Amino acid sequence: MNEDVLLKVDRVSKKYCKSLKQSMLYGMTDIGRNMFRLSSNPGELRKNEFWAVNDVSFELKRGETLGLIGSNGSGKTSLLKMLNGIFWPDKGEITIKGRVGALIAVGAGFHPVLTGRENIYVNGAILGMNKRELDKKFDAIVDFADIGDFLDTPVKYYSSGMFVRLGFAVAVHCNPDILLVDEVLAVGDMAFQAKCLDRMMQYIEEGGSVIFVSHQLHQVDKLCRRSLLMYHGDSLFDGETEKAVDYYRKSLYSKEVGPKGRVGSGEIIVKDVQILNSSGKVSDGCCVGDDLTIRVHYETRGLTDEVVLDVALYSIDGGIVCSMRTDADKFSLNKLNSKGFIDLRIKSLNLLPNIYVYSVNFLKKNGYAIFDSHSKEYKLVVYGGEKVKGVCSLMHEWVVN
Amino acid sequence: MSDQLRITKYRPDNSIRQSYVATFSEIFREISENRWLIFQLFKRDFTAAYKQSIMGLVWAFVIPLVSIGTFIVLNRSGVFVIGDIKVPYPIYAVLGMAFWQLFSTGLLASSQALVLAGPMITKINFSKKSLVFASIGQGLVSFCVQLVLLIALFLFFRIMPSHGVFLLPVVILAIIFLTLGMGFFLSLLNGVIRDVANILPMFLTFFMFLTPVLYERRSYGLLNTINHFNPMNYFILAARDLVLNGQIKEWHGFLYSAIAAIVIFILSLYVFHLTETRITERV
Repeated sequence: MNEDVLLKVDRVSKKYCKSLKQSMLYGMTDIGRNMFRLSSNPGELRKNEFWAVNDVSFELKRGETLGLIGSNGSGKTSLLKMLNGIFWPDKGEITIKGRVGALIAVGAGFHPVLTGRENIYVNGAILGMNKRELDKKFDAIVDFADIGDFLDTPVKYYSSGMFVRLGFAVAVHCNPDILLVDEVLAVGDMAFQAKCLDRMMQYIEEGGSVIFVSHQLHQVDKLCRRSLLMYHGDSLFDGETEKAVDYYRKSLYSKEVGPKGRVGSGEIIVKDVQILNSSGKVSDGCCVGDDLTIRVHYETRGLTDEVVLDVALYSIDGGIVCSMRTDADKFSLNKLNSKGFIDLRIKSLNLLPNIYVYSVNFLKKNGYAIFDSHSKEYKLVVYGGEKVKGVCSLMHEWVVN
Repeated sequence: MSDQLRITKYRPDNSIRQSYVATFSEIFREISENRWLIFQLFKRDFTAAYKQSIMGLVWAFVIPLVSIGTFIVLNRSGVFVIGDIKVPYPIYAVLGMAFWQLFSTGLLASSQALVLAGPMITKINFSKKSLVFASIGQGLVSFCVQLVLLIALFLFFRIMPSHGVFLLPVVILAIIFLTLGMGFFLSLLNGVIRDVANILPMFLTFFMFLTPVLYERRSYGLLNTINHFNPMNYFILAARDLVLNGQIKEWHGFLYSAIAAIVIFILSLYVFHLTETRITERV
């Protein structure tokens, strides 16, 4: 293995079983065979088994950070657990140089009735620190966790934020050679997230290597130059984070958009939705700064309550960009024919080039009853412009004095 | 720095790729490296068990006292024939129960060790053997408490125990080996099949009545035949003989049982080592 390579993952696969009873049976068989030093034939799939991680390979050098992205169930956590040695791979080989620290679930080893102080010692021991190390780092841990007077309070009375802070503080002070981080920062507040990211940056600068799993793509972007995109157990892409994120967005898009079963009572329904560009032609989007019309064709039968139309625009990774509602705009929809269309005109659309999705919902006024809801079913493409980061384009100019 | 880094390899069926010698040296290294962890885990269980209770450690006295009280009542009313004993029954019963409970509490706790730590062992990679070792700590503590009770009883009845008490650690050690041996195996089994946790308490109650914990061993009948192959029978008899008579009457039975306990311990520790990661997947 190369001098600098701390972690080598060579064609690693892991299988899981979908059925609990079968899993018990397989477990007994595997354990029985291992007990007598026989191989459990891990490389073969049995009935109801599937590859949760399939033929993944990569290397990690000292001081390198790797982002691991992909939708839920794509095998990220299973991969991390194998790197941590919690499970063994069913195929392939993992070689690790040095100590691995894992932040897969912070505070997993905490006992609710024990105080923060007691838990620091127990958790530290579980994470592989000895007494001397813990005595030395105790103050730093308490300081980082920032739990103040609660140090001698049972952790079950902690807020979830304090709990995570303490868990993170203990884990991060283990000084591992490779740190595995799995979506743990999501729980803490903004200030703490920033603090954790700072601590990780510092750790990276000191020569630590990190594998970082997160759905917060901007955090991945900030921490990792390189990312691995996983999809249904396969590694789809390994390279620059920006490209991986791009790839991920596209794969999300193909999953996000499309009829997913509509809900609602159906007194008024969305028949069709069209996008018209500035010249009035049906299109899939427009350029930055153009005028745009979203035309909602409806059909109604015996509408008694007043109706509200809601169009909500989302970025492709799920964040809401803008929601537009007729009731919020004091626009009344009380004289609707049995058939027709409603236009939503957006003037000079200042969204950055990307793919967006939007929902179209008919709702009951002054209530939450749904007549017809098409959640994130439609897409809107914004073209043109230079590639910059973000969601919206602000009208701006530069001046040099 | 990079020269001293330990290289770890994870491969399919990782545990069975080594020689026997390498496997045992790895087991030994793991245990010796984790002594502090074992102590911390024990301390955690101990503190947690008594923290949210008013009576705290008093419970360790109360529970055996109640069960022994039941037997004293049964004995007095003649329902239950104890046999020919030379000391006051309370001493006899506490002595038997203390050693029995060292085994039964330890076994119950260790069989649950992996399952109770389930959420933790699937998220942190640490020594799972330490969990089993630490779990018998509770049994040891209540054993010590009962020894205090026993000393009080000896003082109360003004009886002097025999000098054989100094050999008791051998018996205690043998019981611990048996407890851990069975505990390692049952904790694995319980990890996959939860029925173990339901069956074990019932089985232990039944087993306690089979074993001459609270009465003298009969020299005839089915019970005698069963106890002929029951290591706990020999351990309890040995403990009682040492305290009351100063020598072990059935010493060869004790010796064979002690050897069996050590063999069971080594075998199941070995099986545990080979399969602990597999269990983690199924817990």
